[in-house]
Amino acid sequence: MADAIPSMEDAREALKKHKIVIAGVGETEQGKIPNKSSFHFLSEASKIAIQDAGINKSDVDGLITAFSLVEHTFMHCTTFADYFGFRPKFFSSVAIGGATAVWMVAEAAMAIASGQADVVLCVRGDNTLSGISSSGMMALIREMCHAEFEFPYGLTTPGGYALAAQRYLHDYSAKQEHLAAVAVTMRKHAGMKENAMNKEPLTVEDVINSRIIAEPLHKYDCSIISDGGAAFIVTTEDKAKELGIQKPLVYLWGMGQGYSHQYLTTLKDLNQIYSAIERSGQRAFQTAGVEPKDVDIAFLYDCFTITVLLELEGLGFVPKGEGGPFALEGRMEIGKDLPVNTHGGLLSQAHLGAMHHVVEATTQLRGEAGPRQVEDAEVALVHGNGGIVSAHSTVLLGKEPLS
Amino acid sequence: MSEEKEYAKPLPEFRPETKPYWEACKRHEFVLPRSKVTNEFFFYPRALSPGEDMSEDIEWAKASGKGKVWTFAIHHMGPTKAYKGEPPYVVALVEMEEGVKMMTNIVECDPKDVYIGMDVEVLFDDVTPDVTLPKFKPVKK
Repeated sequence: MADAIPSMEDAREALKKHKIVIAGVGETEQGKIPNKSSFHFLSEASKIAIQDAGINKSDVDGLITAFSLVEHTFMHCTTFADYFGFRPKFFSSVAIGGATAVWMVAEAAMAIASGQADVVLCVRGDNTLSGISSSGMMALIREMCHAEFEFPYGLTTPGGYALAAQRYLHDYSAKQEHLAAVAVTMRKHAGMKENAMNKEPLTVEDVINSRIIAEPLHKYDCSIISDGGAAFIVTTEDKAKELGIQKPLVYLWGMGQGYSHQYLTTLKDLNQIYSAIERSGQRAFQTAGVEPKDVDIAFLYDCFTITVLLELEGLGFVPKGEGGPFALEGRMEIGKDLPVNTHGGLLSQAHLGAMHHVVEATTQLRGEAGPRQVEDAEVALVHGNGGIVSAHSTVLLGKEPLS
Repeated sequence: MSEEKEYAKPLPEFRPETKPYWEACKRHEFVLPRSKVTNEFFFYPRALSPGEDMSEDIEWAKASGKGKVWTFAIHHMGPTKAYKGEPPYVVALVEMEEGVKMMTNIVECDPKDVYIGMDVEVLFDDVTPDVTLPKFKPVKK
């Protein structure tokens, strides 16, 4: 049921008034790093982001964390505040799976706009690769699927996405190559990023010939698992100036969410997923006053190759069913129509939800992406997806203030 | 009891509102919950109708047990150690004649022969003395 999207004028006015910015980013080493705990990564990433902004730890007065897949805590944000040694005025844990990182930006903005905090540290870190076995990752599906009506049939996490992929291939006469092309582009981009886990070039044939995990998805259709942390600092242009932040500021232009289902059992059809992605995107686009054609660079949630195609189409970058050819023609590569995940994404760089998607979007808009720099990148879109393409969040970021 | 080793795959943990479903499965009867206010079927079972009516007046209606494969994924790896060494199996979403979907396994056929739109019907797999899982097999033409 696609309900009408209300006017985004109020949201637009709030963002124009407060001029919310990302003023610092940090990423630790990513990969197999067995000697560091989840809270170590969180602390290290926070420190790097604070130093990147050039501010003091005591300047930070808000904290948003997510969750750990390794160290389960009842109150994640305050557990980390204690470990890191600070007492934020505002604190919150966002736990909407892969939609988390993108929504951290939005939640920080809302906290700032409502006077709860001035400088919000958003951070996630985990020793996922070293801390839980691959069988533990396969069993993570239990947390997302229905433990009583789905899990007893042996559903795995890749299997859940394979269910969506199979239907997509059927509805749009798409082919395995179309999915594979997404992984190929992500790998190509990861090859240009120093801090990326998998850089060996990959071909469409390599993906299709890789081990079958859950048909139609192969090993390279699935994201990697890694250890590491990443963080970003959200504040206002005024506060950034007051603190003497020298780094180029990246402005929040719009945000939105869209929900489809939690359990695949209750999914009506693929259009229900598209509607959720579209709703999330449209809220952000209408707030920002821009359209898909105005986006210079996109960061799409790529936990599996299928999600990128659904998001390209749902967000309105290409018509439904045309994401595959778009990917296969290499049009998501740097220098082409719409560069996507210039850091290599979850398929090749590192898996920390969309944290690195936000960090790379900021890096690109700052013009600091080095060999990966997209020329004249002024508007970036970041989209997160949690559950099995069930919960969506989108932000639009700009190089200049929203006008 | 047979000499087969103990069933080690994940089992459903019944909730008060889902128990009638599992009890019917144990009797090899296929039922689906329906709001008595709207007469609409829903699945999975809940204590209140997920419709606008939010009704607690739920009935367990005898269902056809017939449906079509809406999508499927051939699993070459399972979620737990208990699946180790097992041949590939099919996890599917079946759209029932009553309009609701359910997740299940397609059995009694080669996974390669499963297709979207395939007509399937329920069978009951007594996996433990307490739990019977409804699964689906192709309808013989």
